[in-house]
Amino acid sequence: MNLWLKLQSRFHALFQKRWLDVEMDEELRSHIELRAQANIEAGMNPEEARFEALRQFGHTDGIKETCRDQRGVSWLENLIRDIRIGTRQLWKNPGFSLVVIFTLALGMGANTAIFSVVNAVLLRPLPYPDEGRIVALSEQGANGGGDPIAYPNFEDWLAQQKVFEQIGVYKWESAVLTGLKEPAQLQGARLSSGLLEALAVQPELGRLFRPDEDRPGAAPTVLISHAFWQSRFGGSPGVLNQSITLDGEPHEVVGVMPGHFEFPNKLDYWVPIGLMVTEKGWQDRKNHPGLYGIARLRRGVALPQAREELNLIATRLEQQYPASNTGRRVQIEQLHESAVGGVRRALLMLLGAVGLVLLIACANIAGLFLARSVGRRKEMALRSALGASRSRLILQLLTESMLLALIGSIIGMVFAKVGLKMLATLIAGGVPRADKIALNGTVLMVSAVVALATGFLFGLAPAWASVRTNLQDALKIAGRGSTGGHTRTRYSLITAEIAVTLLLLIGFGLFLRSFHRLQTLNPGFVPDHVLTFEVDLPEQKYANAEKVLAFYQPIIEQLRALPGVQAASLGLRLPLENGTRTTSYVVEGETRLEPGQRPSMCIQVAGPDYFRTIGTPLLRGRFFDASDNREHLRIPDGKMDWASALNVIVIDEDFARRHWPDSNPIGRRIRMAFREDSPWMTVIGVVPRIKWRRLNEEGGLVQCYLPFLQVPMHKMKVLIKTTEGADAVIEAAQAIVSSLDPSQPITNVQTLASLHERSTSHQRLSVTLLGIFGFLALSLAIVGLYGVLAYTVSQRRQEIGVRMALGAQRNSILRMIIGQGLKLALIGVALGIISALTFTRIVASMLFQVAPVDPLTFVAVPLFLIAVSVFACWVPALRASKLDPMIALRTE
Amino acid sequence: MNKPDLLQGTLDMLILKVLSRESTHGFGICQRIQQWSEDVLSVGEGSLYPALYRLQDKGWIESEWGQSENNRRAKYYRLTKTGRKQLEVESEGWEQMCMAIRLVMKAT
Repeated sequence: MNLWLKLQSRFHALFQKRWLDVEMDEELRSHIELRAQANIEAGMNPEEARFEALRQFGHTDGIKETCRDQRGVSWLENLIRDIRIGTRQLWKNPGFSLVVIFTLALGMGANTAIFSVVNAVLLRPLPYPDEGRIVALSEQGANGGGDPIAYPNFEDWLAQQKVFEQIGVYKWESAVLTGLKEPAQLQGARLSSGLLEALAVQPELGRLFRPDEDRPGAAPTVLISHAFWQSRFGGSPGVLNQSITLDGEPHEVVGVMPGHFEFPNKLDYWVPIGLMVTEKGWQDRKNHPGLYGIARLRRGVALPQAREELNLIATRLEQQYPASNTGRRVQIEQLHESAVGGVRRALLMLLGAVGLVLLIACANIAGLFLARSVGRRKEMALRSALGASRSRLILQLLTESMLLALIGSIIGMVFAKVGLKMLATLIAGGVPRADKIALNGTVLMVSAVVALATGFLFGLAPAWASVRTNLQDALKIAGRGSTGGHTRTRYSLITAEIAVTLLLLIGFGLFLRSFHRLQTLNPGFVPDHVLTFEVDLPEQKYANAEKVLAFYQPIIEQLRALPGVQAASLGLRLPLENGTRTTSYVVEGETRLEPGQRPSMCIQVAGPDYFRTIGTPLLRGRFFDASDNREHLRIPDGKMDWASALNVIVIDEDFARRHWPDSNPIGRRIRMAFREDSPWMTVIGVVPRIKWRRLNEEGGLVQCYLPFLQVPMHKMKVLIKTTEGADAVIEAAQAIVSSLDPSQPITNVQTLASLHERSTSHQRLSVTLLGIFGFLALSLAIVGLYGVLAYTVSQRRQEIGVRMALGAQRNSILRMIIGQGLKLALIGVALGIISALTFTRIVASMLFQVAPVDPLTFVAVPLFLIAVSVFACWVPALRASKLDPMIALRTE
Repeated sequence: MNKPDLLQGTLDMLILKVLSRESTHGFGICQRIQQWSEDVLSVGEGSLYPALYRLQDKGWIESEWGQSENNRRAKYYRLTKTGRKQLEVESEGWEQMCMAIRLVMKAT
């Protein structure tokens, strides 16, 4: 019978039940009549005939039941009936139902919220076709991977590799847009045409770069973003072939990228990288001008294979160019991994923690169901006696619990939405790809499945216990409510709950200490009251050092004159911003080292008042001042030569300690090693270490500072230490900048304090969530403990009455009950400590200067939990001790 | 080849056989089986009707209401094409089963 006919018959069976039943009745009746007729013909009298026919037929109802089963939809009918019975039960016990639903809603809402974060960040694939094959490339040196690539190295990789379909490089940049309404600072990137092919994106309008446009000397072209197209061109298709001026150079718009294209971030424009290939320094293998690579693996090529081949190429280059490529290898990882790998552990840990909270909630609810099942014993026994099979009864009870779970999960969605909104700022700061967090289809489906599983979990044991009753005992009128196995089960549930709660609280304690350490760490500067913004000068317009100095210096002078400004200065980078330049260096007087073995240092460029503005103290010597300028140059530079005017340098304490541990570093000389003719610089001052990348970085390269007045760069940040409000100061600053150059915008306004906060946002998220989960778990466990003890007391009323009648004092009753509760708590705490000892090792890498088995936490938290447990035992114990023995003995 | 289920499958086969000779109602099938087996087999209504519903669900027989001998309404069943094929399959299987059992019982 084909599927269609089968479906038809099922449909009939479900919706035309009554008609089918009537037909069946009629058929059976006609059968009996035919047999009666046959009997009459065989000689019986009519009455006997009919009686005989009926007797012969047997049990009509049973037959009808079997026939109905044959219709194939009995399971559905049973389900519908179970749901109806279940709903009625819930309605009859509103208090019970509400408690259960609320508990479930909290637990499942939290789970849904965290899972939606995990889904959006970790599980969701990147928006490129077949994104599993896209990899991110960088160079790997002695101090780890993630280094930018030297362009000649990339060219060799391109020529010699066979594992990629396409490969390309990109570089972040920014440019000033002029000629189109008001000038603005745009964020963009340079890419090779191969990179867009590797990502396999299609433009929304127009086309991508052609290979002949990605070449030195080609006419400049640009791709713009959807947002930029909407805001500046109103979304008109006439934007193609128009020209926009970036940094003074006209670029022809050849295409518009779709709105979801956010590589490497939400940018305004993309330009071909080929135009810059002949820039000074790009052909130098020692120079790493901020390039990173993207490639698409060929079908069938696995990541390790590609890694092997590229490292083989790197080794070959090492032999060919020992001066620049010694020890340089290639780092490959999946693009998805490089985007979210850092936050994976924390998110998974949080998902595990919230799952534990749900388990505790389930344990509590299972206990409640167990308690309630005692009351329903008679009902179950009766139904069993009337013919309900055990599996039918269990199914019906499970349907009840799953129904509760589903309702709880629906309300939990509301909690989840609210919770996500409240945590939005926390999440957005610390977690990448956070903008797409939503309660979407996947999340809803997973929540539904989890709800059903939860219902099954907390419903199974009580359902099983319910139907296992002895028929006779249960039907007796004076059923002495012996708790028997139930109490023991509830005790073990509570013990488990307390153990898990302890685990969560210890986790919270560890993270709290770690976060506190991070917050109170001295980062080498004082972030309070420092406002910053960035001014990027187009290189074409400000073609030499004098012009750059003539622009920036008056800004600083005028800013200093503003009321409330205590200090103002310039710097190339801000602390905690994670963008440093590095170079190898040579110390005068030390043995000459091979190029691959020379040490490296982080360089910052700082104006005269930089350290004063950010609050870094001076350890030795002096800061930069106005005399550290370019005037000593014998031949003034017409063009910008980066290093030629340098003659002084400020170093950090690690630098001093490493090279001159016992003598005075002031007066010693150092030079940068990327060029053989770079000038010697004299050490004039020593400052403490500053955290340039992250608060929790330890170790790392030594740090040094070059004076801005000698190497004026084009993209400097202005720092202002002021007690005035930010808006007023920025307005004034904008006015000052505009008066010097009306086409120059200021960008990236932020405070050092917010940078500091953002750098701890990751840990802050973990601590906050763990705190919330720990609190939820604690509340659930305590309520559960209270409930179990209260129940025990009510069950043992007669026993207590007897004891009191025999002379026991109130205190001893009190002690007995509290002792019971304390025993449970202690066992739970012991189990919790054991599990914590095993599990906290997993999160050790996320803690800062806190051991995974931190003695303070491991002592304080258990004591706290025991104290709270004793508190929870107090009320039931008090009630027990206040029992009137006469009443207790009389009632049953 | 599948070993047929002795109890349930055998009744199905008998019903199909009866209906292959004539189209009749439930009581008629009972009578025929009793007659043809010379009173050895008698089918209880408790097994017959569930079997009829099952066979109908599988598409091997179909039914329609008609007039019985004593001018009463009764549900008549008849074999479908697939039912006819199924009958062949089952009787073949039955033959093979019988032979096998006979062989076993003959062994001393």
